[in-house]
Amino acid sequence: MGWLRLLGKEYLLNWLIKALGSSIGRKFVMGLTGLLLIGFVIVHLAGNLLLYVGIEDYNNYAHALHSKPGLVLVAEIGLLALFLAHILIAVGITRENRAARPEGYQMRRSKQNRTAATPSALMFVSGAILLGFILLHLADFRFHLRNPGPDGEEPFAKALRLLQDPVSAGVYFVGSLFLGWHLVHGFQSVFQTLGWNHPKYTPLIKKAGVALAVVLALGFASFPVWAMLKKYGVQL
Amino acid sequence: MEKKLNLTLKIWRQKGPQAQGRLVTYPVQGVSTDASFLEMLDVLNEELLKKGEEPVAFDHDCREGICGMCSLMINGQTHGPDRETTTCQLHMRRFKDGDTIVIEPWRAKSFPILKDLVVDRTAFDRVIAAGGYASVNVGNAQDANCILVGKESADRAMDAAACIGCGACVASCKNASAMLFVAAKVTHFAELPQGQPERYKRAQAMVAQMDAEGFGGCTNTYECEAACPAGIQVTTIAKLNREYLKSSFAYAEESKSSEGEG
Amino acid sequence: MSLDARVPIGPLSEKWTKCKNELKLVSPTNKRKYDIIVIGSGLAGASAAASLGELGYNVKVFCFQDSPRRAHSIAAQGGINAAKNYQNDGDSVGRLFYDTVKGGDFRAREANVYRLAEVSANIIDQCVAQGVPFAREYGGTLANRTFGGVLVSRTFYARGQTGQQLLLGAYSSLMRQVERGKVKLYSRHEMLDLVLVDGVARGVIARDLTNGNFEKHAAHAVLLCTGGYSNVFYLSTNAKGCNATAIWRAYKRGAYFGNPCFTQIHPTSIPQHGDYQSKLTLMSESLRNDGRVWVPKQKGDKRRPEAIPEGERDYYLERKYPTYGNMVPRDVASRNAKAVCDEGRGVSETGQAVYLDFADAIKRDGREVIRQKYGNLFHMYEKITGENPYHTPMKIYPAPHYTMGGLWVDYHLESTIPGLFVLGEANFSDHGANRLGASALMQGLADGYFIAPYTVGHHLAGRKLPKVSTDGPEFEEALRAAKGRVDRLLKINGKRSVDSFHRELGRIMWDKCGMSRSEAGLKEAIAKIRALREEFWNNVKIPGGNAELNQSLEQAGRVADFIELGELMCRDALNRRESCGGHFREESQTEENEAKRDDENYLYVSAWQHQGDDKEPTLHKEPLAFESIHLTQRSYK
Ligand SMILES: Cc1cc2nc3c(=O)[nH]c(=O)nc-3n(C[C@H](O)[C@H](O)[C@H](O)COP(=O)(O)OP(=O)(O)OC[C@H]3O[C@@H](n4cnc5c(N)ncnc54)[C@H](O)[C@@H]3O)c2cc1C
Ligand code: FES
Repeated sequence: MGWLRLLGKEYLLNWLIKALGSSIGRKFVMGLTGLLLIGFVIVHLAGNLLLYVGIEDYNNYAHALHSKPGLVLVAEIGLLALFLAHILIAVGITRENRAARPEGYQMRRSKQNRTAATPSALMFVSGAILLGFILLHLADFRFHLRNPGPDGEEPFAKALRLLQDPVSAGVYFVGSLFLGWHLVHGFQSVFQTLGWNHPKYTPLIKKAGVALAVVLALGFASFPVWAMLKKYGVQL
Repeated sequence: MEKKLNLTLKIWRQKGPQAQGRLVTYPVQGVSTDASFLEMLDVLNEELLKKGEEPVAFDHDCREGICGMCSLMINGQTHGPDRETTTCQLHMRRFKDGDTIVIEPWRAKSFPILKDLVVDRTAFDRVIAAGGYASVNVGNAQDANCILVGKESADRAMDAAACIGCGACVASCKNASAMLFVAAKVTHFAELPQGQPERYKRAQAMVAQMDAEGFGGCTNTYECEAACPAGIQVTTIAKLNREYLKSSFAYAEESKSSEGEG
Repeated sequence: MSLDARVPIGPLSEKWTKCKNELKLVSPTNKRKYDIIVIGSGLAGASAAASLGELGYNVKVFCFQDSPRRAHSIAAQGGINAAKNYQNDGDSVGRLFYDTVKGGDFRAREANVYRLAEVSANIIDQCVAQGVPFAREYGGTLANRTFGGVLVSRTFYARGQTGQQLLLGAYSSLMRQVERGKVKLYSRHEMLDLVLVDGVARGVIARDLTNGNFEKHAAHAVLLCTGGYSNVFYLSTNAKGCNATAIWRAYKRGAYFGNPCFTQIHPTSIPQHGDYQSKLTLMSESLRNDGRVWVPKQKGDKRRPEAIPEGERDYYLERKYPTYGNMVPRDVASRNAKAVCDEGRGVSETGQAVYLDFADAIKRDGREVIRQKYGNLFHMYEKITGENPYHTPMKIYPAPHYTMGGLWVDYHLESTIPGLFVLGEANFSDHGANRLGASALMQGLADGYFIAPYTVGHHLAGRKLPKVSTDGPEFEEALRAAKGRVDRLLKINGKRSVDSFHRELGRIMWDKCGMSRSEAGLKEAIAKIRALREEFWNNVKIPGGNAELNQSLEQAGRVADFIELGELMCRDALNRRESCGGHFREESQTEENEAKRDDENYLYVSAWQHQGDDKEPTLHKEPLAFESIHLTQRSYK
C-alpha cells in the first residue's frame, strides 16, 4: 500500500502541515478548497435547475441522491471539511492581515482604475454574508429547523414551500448575488494563487470567472424569484 | 508656465518610535509648480526652521527615482497620484491652488516608524539575506558568455530586477503584504540560468523570512502593482506562488552538516 | 614622509601579476581572527565587504542610508566598460588602458590604470555569475554599446539602470555574507572619525543616526568606500546624502588628499529652474549622439526656439569642432556651454542653458526611432520640466557630476595611514583629470572584488597588529572629539539654516572653482570660504538634539566638512597653474581658448597633508612617469 503511505503521513500530511505554516501555503489550501467548492456549487445548480424541468424529474433526482445514504454522508463530510477549511483559513488569514498593519492610514485611496468597493477588497465580508446564507439554507433544507414540513413530503413540494418563505426567499436572493460577487474575485484569484498567471490566458480566465459568477448568481437567485412568482400566482 | 500654489499640508508628526503621533496642519504659500514634491517639503522645513520649529523628517537620497529611499503616502496614495513615479519625481504641477495634501508615513507592523515620515525598512534586507542571491564567490566565475541567456528571459529577469525596494507595495496593500517585493527577486533569479541551482531553496527561505517579519499575506487585490514605481507586475507573484508550490514538493531541507565545514 | 606608491618594477603588463605573487597571505584558519571595517556600501564597499566575508574575515559594513542597496552607485545609468572584445572590434586591455589614460589627460598613475583594464573582464564574469541581468542579444550573448571618447563597443549595460543592477548584484553577495554571519550591517550609521593606534588605522567612531548613540568599533583594517564629493557644489547630479565626511576626517587624521581640485562637470543635465532647487538631474550623454547643441546668435534673443530661423542659430560645437562636433568630451562640451552663456546667449529665463535639439534627428529617423532610443529619458525630462522634447528642444546645462580627486592611495589602495584603504570614487582614482563614461563603475568593482581582497590581506599578514580595546585612550580621545563636535554644533543656536550655508558654499565653488578657474577668482574664493566657515560656526541653527533622528544635525556635520574641503580644492586649483581635463585654468589656454596642459611643471599628483585647522596644508608631489605612452596634447577639432 505504498500509495497510501504516500498520501498519508509521509508525504501529503507533512506537506499539508508545512503548507499551513506559511502564508502562501495557506493561500494554496484556501484556493484549492475554493475551487472544489465552486465545483460543488456548479453541480448543485445543475441539479436544482431540474426544478424548472419538471416535478417528476426533480423528485427522481432527489430520491436517487438520497438512495445512497453512505455516499451522501461521505459527500457531506467532505463538503463540511472543505467549508470548514475554507472558512477557518479565511478567518486566520484575515486576522493576520489585519495584524500586519496595527495602525491604519488617516486617508486611503486606490491607485487602480476602479471604484471603491471591489470584490477583492471585500472577500471576507462577502464570505461572511455567504456563510449566513448557507447556514440558513442548511437549517431549512438539511436540518428542518425552520418550517418543518409534513412527513413524506415530496422534494419538489418541499423546495417550493421553503422557497416561498419570505425570509428565506429574501436571504437566498441576496445570498446568491453575494455568491457571484465572491466568485468574481475568487475564481480568477485561484489561478493567480496556484501560479497560473499568463499574459495570454489570464484575461480569458478573468472573463470566464465573471461569466461563471454571473451564471451562478443568476441561477441561484432565480429560484426564490420563481417560487415567489408562483406563490402570487403569476403565470409562468 | 510656472505658477505659484497655496496649499494646506496635513503631515504626520511623531517624535520617535514609541511616541504618539498626529496630523499637524501647515499652510504653505507660493509653491512653484516646477518644484518637486520633496522640494516643496524642503521649503516648508526652511520655514519651520525660521520659526524655531523642528523640520519634518523624511527619507530621501537620489531624488531621481532609483534609490528607493523616498516614500510617503500622499493623499492616501503611495508616492502620490502618478503611476510609476516615486515621490521624489512627483512635481507640484500635479496639484491645484488651494489643495489640501495629507502626508503620512508608510504603515505596517514590519515597517515601524522611526520619526515623522521616516520608517524602518530593514525587514526587506533580512528577506534578501534569507536567499535573494546566487551563491557564487569572487573568483569562481567562468567567462560571461559561457552562460547564454535568451533575450526574452533576460528581459523578463530585468523587468523583475528593476524593483527599487521602496516598500510602496507593502504600504499600499490592505494586508501590508510584501509579496510583490519577494516575488520580484524570486522571479529575477528564476528567469536566469544563474538562479537555478538554488531556485527552490530560495523560494522557501525568502517566503519563510517574509512571514517571520510579520508582513501580511497576498489576497490578490493587486493594489501593489498600481502602487509600484518600478512597474513590477503581479505576474511575478503568480510566478512566486508557482515556485513556492513546486519547491514545497521538490525541496527537502538540507542537512545542517553540509555547510560551514572545512 | 615620502610618497611611495609601491608600484612593482617590471613591464607594465606584468606588474599586477608580480605584485600578487609577492603579496603576503593570511592563512585560512587565521582569517577569522581578523576584523575589518568597511565604510560605504556602494559598488566599492559592497563588493569589497562581500569578497572579504567570503574569504573568512569578520566584516562590519556601515552606510548612512537605511539599506546598503541605496548607496549612490544605484543611480548610475549608462554602463560599465570592460575589455572583453566580444564585438571583435579590436578592443584589448591595452586599448582600454590607453583610452582611460588619454581621457584622463595624462594625470593618472599608469600602473593603476593598466591593472584596472586588466581586471575589467573579470568584473563582467563575476557580475553575470551573480545574476546581473545585462542586456543580451537574441542568441543569448551579452550586448554592448558605445560610449563617448572611444572607438570600440565595450560598454555593458542593463537598460538605463546599470548602476542599479550592478549594485544589487554586489548587495546580494553582501547579504549572503550577512546570512552566513561573516558580515554585520550597520545601516543608518555615519562614520564620524577614524581611530589610529600606533599610527595604524584600527577603528572608527560612528553615530547611530536613529538615536544619536556614539559607537566605537575596533578592527585590524579600515576601508573607506564612501563615494565622491560633488555635493561640495550643493547642486550636483549626486544623491543628496553624498558627502565627504569620512574621507575628510581621515584626512585630518593624517591621510593625504590627492588632486582635490579634479572634478568632472557633466555637460548634459537639466538646468536649474528655481532657488528652491535641491539637485540636478543627469540626462545621459548618449543624447548627444542625435541631439544638436545650439544657442541664438544674438545676445538676449528671447524668442521661442521654434521661432528662431536656422540662420540665426549658432551650433557652436559643430562650428568649433568640425570633426567631433556634438560628441566632444565632457569637459570640452561643458566649458563651451558656459562660454556661450557668459556671452549672454544662454536661453531659458535664467540665461543658464543651451538647447539640445532633436528636430533634425526626428525628421531624419522618424519619431519612433528616437522614442525607442531615448523614450525613457524624454519621459523623465518631461516629468521634471513639463516640456515635451519631441516638440521643443531640450534645455541643458553642465552640472557637477564626479570627483576624480580623493584620498591619495598607493598601488595597494592603501592611504598614507597604514591599514586605511580607500576604494571607489573616494580615492584619488585611476581617472586622472577627467573620467571617461562608464569607467567609474568599473573602477569601484575592480577595487572591491579584485584588488583590495589581496592587498588588505597583505597588510594583515605583514604588519604586527596587537590587540586593541575600544576602551583604550585613542578610542576615548576620538569619541570625545566626535561628541564634542556635535555638542559644539548644537550649541551655536544661530540664525541661518544649514542648507543656506551649503547653498552659499556651492555658489562660491561653482563660480570660482567650477568649469573655469583663475588665480584671482580662487584667491577670492578662499577668502570667502574662510569667512563662510567663520560664520557657520557662529551662526548656524540646528533644531532638536543629539539623542534622536536629527537630519539637520547630520547635514550640519557634512556641510562643515564640505566648507573645509572647498578651501582645499581651491588651494589645489590655485597651485595647478595648467589646464588639464576638467580643471581649466584661464591663465593656461591656447590662442583658440582651448585647454593647455603643462607637462613640464605639473606632471604630478598633488597630495595634500593636513597640518592643523588653521595652518596651511603641505603639498607633496607624486611624480607621474609614463613608460609606455607618449604624451600628446588632446585635440578634438
Ligand atoms: C547620475 C549619475 C550617473 C552615473 N552614471 C555612471 C555610469 O553610467 N557609468 C559609470 O561608470 N559611472 C557612473 N556614475 C559614477 C558612479 O556611479 C560613481 O562614481 C560610483 O558609483 C561610486 O561608487 P562608490 O562605491 O565609490 O560610492 P557610492 O556608491 O557613492 O557609495 C558611498 C557609500 O558610502 C556610504 N557613506 C558615505 N559617507 C559615509 C559616512 N560618513 N559614514 C558611513 N557611510 C558613509 C554611503 O552610505 C554609501 O553606502 C554616475 C554618477 C551619477 C551621479
Ligand atoms: S529619493 Fe531616491 S527614489 Fe526617491
